[in-house]
Amino acid sequence: MQEPELHDLSDDADYAASQQQGSASMMRCDSGKRSSSSEPEGAEIVYLKDNVTIHPTQFASERISGRLKLIKQGSSLFMTWIPYKGQTTNARLSEKDRKLYTIRPVSFADVRSIRRHTPALGWQYMIVVLSSGLAFPPLYFYNGGVREFLATVKQHVFLVRSAEDANVFLVNDFENPLQRTLSSLELPRAVSIASVPSTPVSVRGSASRENEERTDVGVHDENSSTSRYNGRQRQKVHDPARDLSIHVLEKFSLVTKFARETTSQLFRETHSNGFDAFERRNTNQSVLDYNHKVDEDEEVPLKSPVAPDPLELERFQVLYQDHLMPTSTIVKQKAPYRKHNHDDEAATNVGTFELIDIKEFDKLSLVWGKPRQPPLGLEEWATFLDSEGRVVDSKALKKRIFYGGIEHKLRREVWAILLGYHTYESTYAEREYLRSIKKTEYETIKNQWQSISPEQAKRFTKFRERKGLIDKDVVRTDRSLSFYEGDDNPNVNLLRDILLTYSFYNFDLGYCQGMSDLLSPILFVMEEESESFWCFVALMERLGPNFNRDQNGMHTQLFALSKLVELLDIPLHNYFKQNDCLNYFFCFRWILIQFKRLGSWNYLFIHFPLCQHLFRVHVPIIM
Amino acid sequence: MASRRRMLLKVIILGDSGVGKTSLMNQYVNRKFSNQYKATIGADFLTKEVQFEDRIFTLQIWDTAGQERFQSLGVAFYRGADCCVLVYDVNVMKSFDHLNNWREEFLIQASPSDPENFPFVVLGNKVDVDGGNSRVVSEKKAKAWCASKGNIPYFETSAKEGFNVEAAFQCIAKNALKNEPEDEIYLPDTIDVGGGQQQRSSGCEC
Repeated sequence: MQEPELHDLSDDADYAASQQQGSASMMRCDSGKRSSSSEPEGAEIVYLKDNVTIHPTQFASERISGRLKLIKQGSSLFMTWIPYKGQTTNARLSEKDRKLYTIRPVSFADVRSIRRHTPALGWQYMIVVLSSGLAFPPLYFYNGGVREFLATVKQHVFLVRSAEDANVFLVNDFENPLQRTLSSLELPRAVSIASVPSTPVSVRGSASRENEERTDVGVHDENSSTSRYNGRQRQKVHDPARDLSIHVLEKFSLVTKFARETTSQLFRETHSNGFDAFERRNTNQSVLDYNHKVDEDEEVPLKSPVAPDPLELERFQVLYQDHLMPTSTIVKQKAPYRKHNHDDEAATNVGTFELIDIKEFDKLSLVWGKPRQPPLGLEEWATFLDSEGRVVDSKALKKRIFYGGIEHKLRREVWAILLGYHTYESTYAEREYLRSIKKTEYETIKNQWQSISPEQAKRFTKFRERKGLIDKDVVRTDRSLSFYEGDDNPNVNLLRDILLTYSFYNFDLGYCQGMSDLLSPILFVMEEESESFWCFVALMERLGPNFNRDQNGMHTQLFALSKLVELLDIPLHNYFKQNDCLNYFFCFRWILIQFKRLGSWNYLFIHFPLCQHLFRVHVPIIM
Repeated sequence: MASRRRMLLKVIILGDSGVGKTSLMNQYVNRKFSNQYKATIGADFLTKEVQFEDRIFTLQIWDTAGQERFQSLGVAFYRGADCCVLVYDVNVMKSFDHLNNWREEFLIQASPSDPENFPFVVLGNKVDVDGGNSRVVSEKKAKAWCASKGNIPYFETSAKEGFNVEAAFQCIAKNALKNEPEDEIYLPDTIDVGGGQQQRSSGCEC
C-alpha cells in the first residue's frame, strides 16, 4: 500500500502492452490526418502536444490519440483535446467513440486539480479533475511533455502543488475565499466557446437561477419544469457562442433522435434461473427503462439548425441495434412533463415513471424490439461448432446468447469461451489440454501463499492484510444463495482460495472489494476451482482497470457515461447538475461490479466495446 | 410524495472494512441486524427522521466503503458533512489504530470550515463478540484517544444486539445539529420505485 508511484499498477499493465504496441500506435498517429478545429477569435495557442492518447479500454487497439492544446483567450486559459480523424486502423472504434471523448474547450476556472503520473519507465499521464468532481480519462503523453504542460498552465493560472500529494496540482486553490470569487468573476461571458452545455459561463450565468430552481425541487409541477428547461435550452441556442459548436448540436439532435426511436422499443428480459431469481429478490425495486416518447415541446430546443446526416444516423443505429440491456425489473419513464394520475406511477421532478410489475413483465419480454428467444440449448449449441469444436461464427453466437441467454447446464462450457479463457477458435482437444495445463499452473500459484507459514506471515503485513480483507468479504458474498449459505460452506472457502491465489497471480492489482461479487457467479457456474480461477482471470483482464488504485478505468467510464446522458437526455443531465451529481459516483457500484447486485448477468460475459457497453446498459438504467 | 422543507443533517460513517458500519446504520434506521450484509462498494445512504426540541430533522447517514482503495471517492461523499462517525471493532487492534488515519483523511477531504471543532463521534463496535472475551481494545484506551482529540464523544456498541446504538446516534444527531444549526437544505424527491418504504431512501442501489 505504500508503494512508490513508480509501481502504480495501472501503469504496469499499460507498459506491458506498450512494449508491443507503442511504436505501432505512434506511427499510426503521425500518419493520421490532423484535426483542424478552428480556434476562437483572439485566442492564442500557448501549448500544443501531439500523440496525447486516452485508453478507453486496456486494449491497445482501442486507444484514441489526439492533440492536446492550451489556448489563452483574454485572461482565461482553456484546454482542448481533439482526437485525430481517420484513425481507421480499428473498426471497433467508431467515429462516435472518438467524438465522445473529445475535450472541447474547458476553462481552467472549472478545473480543480491535475494529477500527474510520471514514472521512470513507460508513459507519463495525467488526470484532470473538474470542480464538479468529474474527471477526464487519463491522458497519456506518448512523447512526454507533462512537465511542460504543467509549467505552461502555471504561467497562466494559479497552480499549487498539493500539500498531501506531490503529484497533485491544485488549480485556483486560493486560501482567501474573496480571491476565489474575484477570480471566477474575471471570466468574461464572451468566451463561452465550450461546446458542452456545462460551459463555465453558463454555469456561472445560471447560478442564481439554479438557486431559485432548488426551491422548486419537489414541487412537482411538470409544466413549470418544462418551461424552465426549455427556457434554458433556448437561451443556449440563441447564444451566438453556440454557433461555434454547431456540430455538437447536430450531434445532439442526431443522437437524441436515435435514442428516442430506439429506446422506445426497449424492454427488459427476465431471467428464470435460481441465481438471478435470488438476486432479484433483493432488488425488486430495480431498474429503469426508458420509454421516451417525445413531446413536441421538448423536441424543439434540442433540434439543431443543421439537419442530421441521414447516413451518419444510419451508421449509428447499425452500431447499436444489436445490443440491449437484459435486467430484471423495469420501470418505464413516461414522456416527461405530462401529468399522470395513475396509481402505478411515481412522479418525480425528472419525469414520471411507470412502475411495472415483474410478473407482468414476462409478457413484455422483448429484446431490443425483438421477442426474447428461448435460452441457447445443447442441440443448438452444437450447430455453432465445427466437427472439432471450434466456434464457427462467434458474432452470431454472441448475438444469439444476447437475445436469449444460455441454458444453465450449458453455461459452464460456454462461459469459459465467452469470458475469454478459451478462444473461439479452440478445438475440443485444445480446450481439454489447456484445462489440464492450467490446473497445474493454478496449483503452483496457489501453493505460493499456502506455503507461507504463520511465522513468515507475521513478517508479511501485506499478505495478512489481503488475506484479512478477503476473509471478511467472502463470508458476506451471496450468502443467502444456497450454494454459499451455512457455516463452513466449502464454496465460501473456494471463493477465498481463488481470490487469494488471484492476488498472487496479479500481485500488483491485489484484491479489491467487488471482486468477490464477480467471482461468485463464476464459481457457481464453473463449480471447479481451477476453471473458475482462470475464467476470473480472463474477466479481470477486461475489468481490471476498474479496480486500480487511481481508478482510471472508473474515471474513464463515468466520464463516458456522463457524456452519453448529456447527449441523450438534457433534462436528466441538468437535474444531475443541479443536484451536484455530475461525477456520477452514484453509478460507481453498478459499473464496478457490472450491475451484479441488480441481478443481470449473462450479458456481462459478452464483450462489446466500451462505448456500446455503456450505452446498452448503463444509460438506460440511469434514465 | 411531495417533499417538504426540512432540515437535512449529513452524517458520514468511516472505519476499516468489516467493523460494522453498514450494520450500525441498519440497526439504527431499520432496527434490524442481518448476517448477510455485502461489502459496501462506493457509498450508500439511508435517511431517518429525528425529532429534536419539537423540530423534525432528516438525518442522512452515509455509509462508506472501508477499503482504502475507494478513498479517492471520499471527497465527493464527505462534502457538506455535519458530523463524522468513526467506527472500530473492539476486537481488532488495527481498526482502532486506524481511527487517526480516518479522522485525518476526513478533515483533509471534507475540509470543514472549522476543523478544530468539527464534531466527531467514536463508536467501539462488536462488544457482544465472545461475551467480550476476545476484545483487545479497552474502553479506557479508547476514551483516552478520544480525549486527546478534543473530547470526542465515545460509545461502545453492538449493532448485532442493538446495544447503545440509539443513544450513540442521538448523540451523533445532536452534534450534527450543533455544527450547522441555521443551514437549511432541501431534500430532493427520491424516486420511490420500491413503493411505500418511507423511511428508507436508497442512495445508490435503487
